[in-house]
Amino acid sequence: YNSSSFIFQRPPNKISQPDGFRRAADHQILYPLCDSREKKSLQCLRICKEYTSEVLLQLDPFLNELTSMFEKSKEKGSVWVTLKRSSLKSKLQKRKLSSAGESIEYRCLIRATDAKKTISTSVGAKDHLRFQASYATILKAHMTALKKRERKDRKKSTEAEKKEGTSTTTKPKKL
Amino acid sequence: MVYIVSWDEFVDRSVQLFKADPESTRYVVKYRHCDGKLVLKVTDNKECLKFKTDQAQEARKMEKLNNIFFTLMARGPDVDLSEVNGKEQMETQPVKKGRGRKQ
Repeated sequence: YNSSSFIFQRPPNKISQPDGFRRAADHQILYPLCDSREKKSLQCLRICKEYTSEVLLQLDPFLNELTSMFEKSKEKGSVWVTLKRSSLKSKLQKRKLSSAGESIEYRCLIRATDAKKTISTSVGAKDHLRFQASYATILKAHMTALKKRERKDRKKSTEAEKKEGTSTTTKPKKL
Repeated sequence: MVYIVSWDEFVDRSVQLFKADPESTRYVVKYRHCDGKLVLKVTDNKECLKFKTDQAQEARKMEKLNNIFFTLMARGPDVDLSEVNGKEQMETQPVKKGRGRKQ
């Protein structure tokens, strides 16, 4: 990359950013750095963009990928699922639609990530019921590590506490 | 970011937050199987509500909240939330119709 070809200089009175590493979200507007640091930060940006690139899928492939994410993250790792209302249109498109008097169609954007890759899909008003049902099934099937509170367990745990309890308490206390 | 202790308070405040700003409010669920922990977060980038749990019964409650958010986000913030319960009734109705046809 030839640095002079696409780097724009910001006016000095804007809020300054820390030197060195640039976040993937800062597109091509960079501060001028010395050459070698510039090359490294551009490289970092490119790698970051590859890692953070989001794959937009159809509903069923999304559900399949989500299932495999849960299965991969059983030993360690987390799965994040984000729900957000979105029209999937840029500000410019929105302005055009509203000035033309057309209503903007909103969808529910669903993103899932396991910190290695991100997948997403969008659900409209028509298919949200079907998606909701399949999504609930997947969650129920995979969120099995959570503790189940049963009355029997409570009794057992209170008995265990009595046995381990200090000598000061001789009678069981009712909470 | 304070963790909310009461589930009902979390639900009420997060629905309120969404209705106040549907464009920027998002609902995040984080699940760690190795730790058996579930964390829910609702934020509009100004205020953040969080709820954490390790109980299976809260996961069942979370499914209802998922349904609420799906409905709100797909159909719009003005949707009447009693429809969420109405869906469950709709699911049971076709079963009755089936019985009628067999006769």
